[in-house]
Amino acid sequence: MKKLALAGLLAVGLTGCSSEEPKVLNLYNWSEYMPQEVLTRFEEETGIQVVYTTYDSNEAMYAKLKLLDDSAAYDLAVPSTYYVSKMRQEDLLLPIDRSKIEGFDKLDPELVNLDIDPDNKFSIPYLWGTTGLAVDTDDVEGEPVTAWADLWDERFEGRVMLTNDMREVFHVGLRVLGYSGNSTDPQQIEEAYEKLTELMPSVRTFNSDAPRVPYLEGETDVGMIWNGEAVMAEETMPSLEYVYPEEGIIAWLDSFVIPKNAKNPEAAHQFISFVLQPEISALISEEIGYATPNLAAREMLPDDVANNRASYPTPEDMTNAEFQVDIGDEALQVYAKYWEMLKSGR
Amino acid sequence: MPSITRQPFRTAVLVLVWGWLLFLVLAPNLLVVGASVMTRDPGTFISLPLNLDAYRQLFDPLYLEVFLHSLYMAAMTTLVCLLIGYPFAWALSKLGKQRQLLLIFLLIVPFWTNSLVRTYALKMLLATNGLINSSLMGLGWIDEPLQMLYTEGAVIIGLVYLLLPFMILPLYSVFDDLRQELLLASHDLGAGRFATFIHVIVPLTLPGVLAGVMLVLLPAMGLFFVPDILGGSRNLLVGNVIKNQFLDARNWPFGAAASIVLTITMAILMLAHRLSKQRIGEEGA
Amino acid sequence: MTRWLPRAYLVLVYLLLYIPIGVLVVFSFNDSRSGYTWGGLSLRWYQSLFNNNAMVEAMWNSLWLALSAATVSTVIGALTALALHRYRFRGKKVLNGMLFVVMMSPEIVLAISLLALFLLVGIQLGYVSLLLAHVTFCLPFVVITVMARLSGFDESLPEAARDLGASDFTMTRTVLIPVIMPALLAGWLLGFTLSLDDVVVSTFVSGPSYEILPLRIYSMVRVGLKPEVNALGTLLLVFSLVMLMLSQWILTRSKR
Repeated sequence: MKKLALAGLLAVGLTGCSSEEPKVLNLYNWSEYMPQEVLTRFEEETGIQVVYTTYDSNEAMYAKLKLLDDSAAYDLAVPSTYYVSKMRQEDLLLPIDRSKIEGFDKLDPELVNLDIDPDNKFSIPYLWGTTGLAVDTDDVEGEPVTAWADLWDERFEGRVMLTNDMREVFHVGLRVLGYSGNSTDPQQIEEAYEKLTELMPSVRTFNSDAPRVPYLEGETDVGMIWNGEAVMAEETMPSLEYVYPEEGIIAWLDSFVIPKNAKNPEAAHQFISFVLQPEISALISEEIGYATPNLAAREMLPDDVANNRASYPTPEDMTNAEFQVDIGDEALQVYAKYWEMLKSGR
Repeated sequence: MPSITRQPFRTAVLVLVWGWLLFLVLAPNLLVVGASVMTRDPGTFISLPLNLDAYRQLFDPLYLEVFLHSLYMAAMTTLVCLLIGYPFAWALSKLGKQRQLLLIFLLIVPFWTNSLVRTYALKMLLATNGLINSSLMGLGWIDEPLQMLYTEGAVIIGLVYLLLPFMILPLYSVFDDLRQELLLASHDLGAGRFATFIHVIVPLTLPGVLAGVMLVLLPAMGLFFVPDILGGSRNLLVGNVIKNQFLDARNWPFGAAASIVLTITMAILMLAHRLSKQRIGEEGA
Repeated sequence: MTRWLPRAYLVLVYLLLYIPIGVLVVFSFNDSRSGYTWGGLSLRWYQSLFNNNAMVEAMWNSLWLALSAATVSTVIGALTALALHRYRFRGKKVLNGMLFVVMMSPEIVLAISLLALFLLVGIQLGYVSLLLAHVTFCLPFVVITVMARLSGFDESLPEAARDLGASDFTMTRTVLIPVIMPALLAGWLLGFTLSLDDVVVSTFVSGPSYEILPLRIYSMVRVGLKPEVNALGTLLLVFSLVMLMLSQWILTRSKR
């Protein structure tokens, strides 16, 4: 009898504890991909504390989610297009309850209902952007840099930076050879690897944590960069130019997804709705320089942001642009092998 | 078992200790060995059938190059540590006792400081706008900044900086034990400084050298954050490869196989250390 | 005649070891945003460090983790050392060997093996997994410290206690523990520092629900030069300096 009473007391105590626990949203996102102000305002408005953890590649994000599969670690992640379809097909995602999402109808019709996730059952677009060329015009003399192929120029030896992103780097190699950036042909991937090894003596560093930093630090003069990073660097380094390469820019879309075992899907939905508010979406685009798929937000943008060609490309800029798509696990392994060889070579 | 009732404390202690080590040391290591002979599986990480594919992949000439490059950087690190550490330990052992203790203390202070932070401090020095470049340019010794950050050299400097105390401490302990009489005897027998060094000092300090090599070489292959910060995510170490296999590429068998090769390397080094110590022991007796 | 040469050499090496740390400390008081130029004295980076909630939380998490890992490993390590020292049992060599393996095997190997174990057994990656891992890699260091102390210890004391009818537990509590106390403290401090500094193992076995300082620093450092890291580094330096002096003081005092 005593034991029973004790157990009862304990149970009461435990449930009492859990209801008082502060609500937490575990957000897993790219580094420097969400202004602090948005998190703070969300916390103030809802009382939900956001724990913000970052990754620097889709592969790392995916691997970590797989590792933490059962422990329900993250409530929200932001994979790129091709990982949305991969994760959806592998049944790693929770369907998104559209009735809990406000503002979905304001999204650009061209960026919803894509092949990667028909009818957006599992994903809500967050931002889209491009990976192009960064050129430090102060230090680059002679012929202007206009194409990916220019990176192979001898004058850039030791001054080139690439993103630390397997797919993007191979995308460049494949495009320079005239192939699709989404190639799954092992032959073409190997050719791209061979081509990229020629570039390696010029490559100073790989960086996907903050691709603008090596340019700001003066370590590199030319190479790859994400458009948002280029915009963020504008203020401190006006000489850094964002160039749309002739072979075509790399385009991507990052979307919110809720991992299958999310502990707090409710908060995840709340957060998505919060971000979809035009005012918040506009703030994000303005702060970190990527393009918002939210049309209502685009109208609220100040002119200098809306007309910034780095953030919002013109139709001509997008000639030859190629969106990244899912290439399947088999091809991914081929890429992964050459990627490691590429990075460990001298 | 009568001992259980007689010595409950002893039993409890032994169960706890054994339990901990079996569960958290033996079992995980067996798991890694197991994983290394399984097949990569995109869904569940590893699956049957058993095979040696991972090891075969390891000796694929392409990957072998990665390993050899990592080994080369680790070996360079060890060599630099030895070249700096050997005379250092020697010089240290000749000082007065009190001073020795103070200097040893000063040597381990950095070791107690967060290694990431120290690596980051090196980055501040090596960068193009960093202090070394700006001082050299200020002195007018160079016109163009030197490219030091994100190079192989930067990785080696970083590793040396982090691992030097691990080379010096075992060396210091053998120099400390080095009996002056032996050196005098060698001198009395007519050996010159150089001969004494080659025939007496080097063999007697060999166990310390090997211990130092062991303590430096292995971490120098595993400290993946050094190439990440100073090597520009290039100039990878075996540690980076293992980490990538587990946290990016999800090829567990391959990562496990790579780590087993590391463990075997360690075992070989330890064996060499033991043998050299035994030899010295016999000669000394 | 050649006496100055070795000394000059020693000084040179110490300079090389301490210059980076010195620069870090000096620049933590730098007012300038860029990590390279001097902009006057300021405490702004310390301020911004403490205004960063995520950072402060990671700091507390790390401290708590180090505290608990050091304590648990000291208890288990001391018991292990006592068992190795006092008891005869089968597999003693194996036990010794396992401790040796933990101490010598590359951290990264320990990290992946523990990760594999946690996933297999279904231990959530977070505080518990971190604690288990940290205790495991601290353990051999505690054992060694305590063993060293025990080896110089007069065996007649425990014998006398036993003769007087003390049980094994009582004898351990009243005779042995006081003797090994300094070693316990030193081992605890060592474990505390090792845990606070660990990057390699923690990278593998941590989860998002429990972010710790080294990992936070790691992501900051990878992004680029952040003056906050200088401030944080300086604080950590002072902290470990105090810990180290404390442990040295305990050890030297106990020798007398």
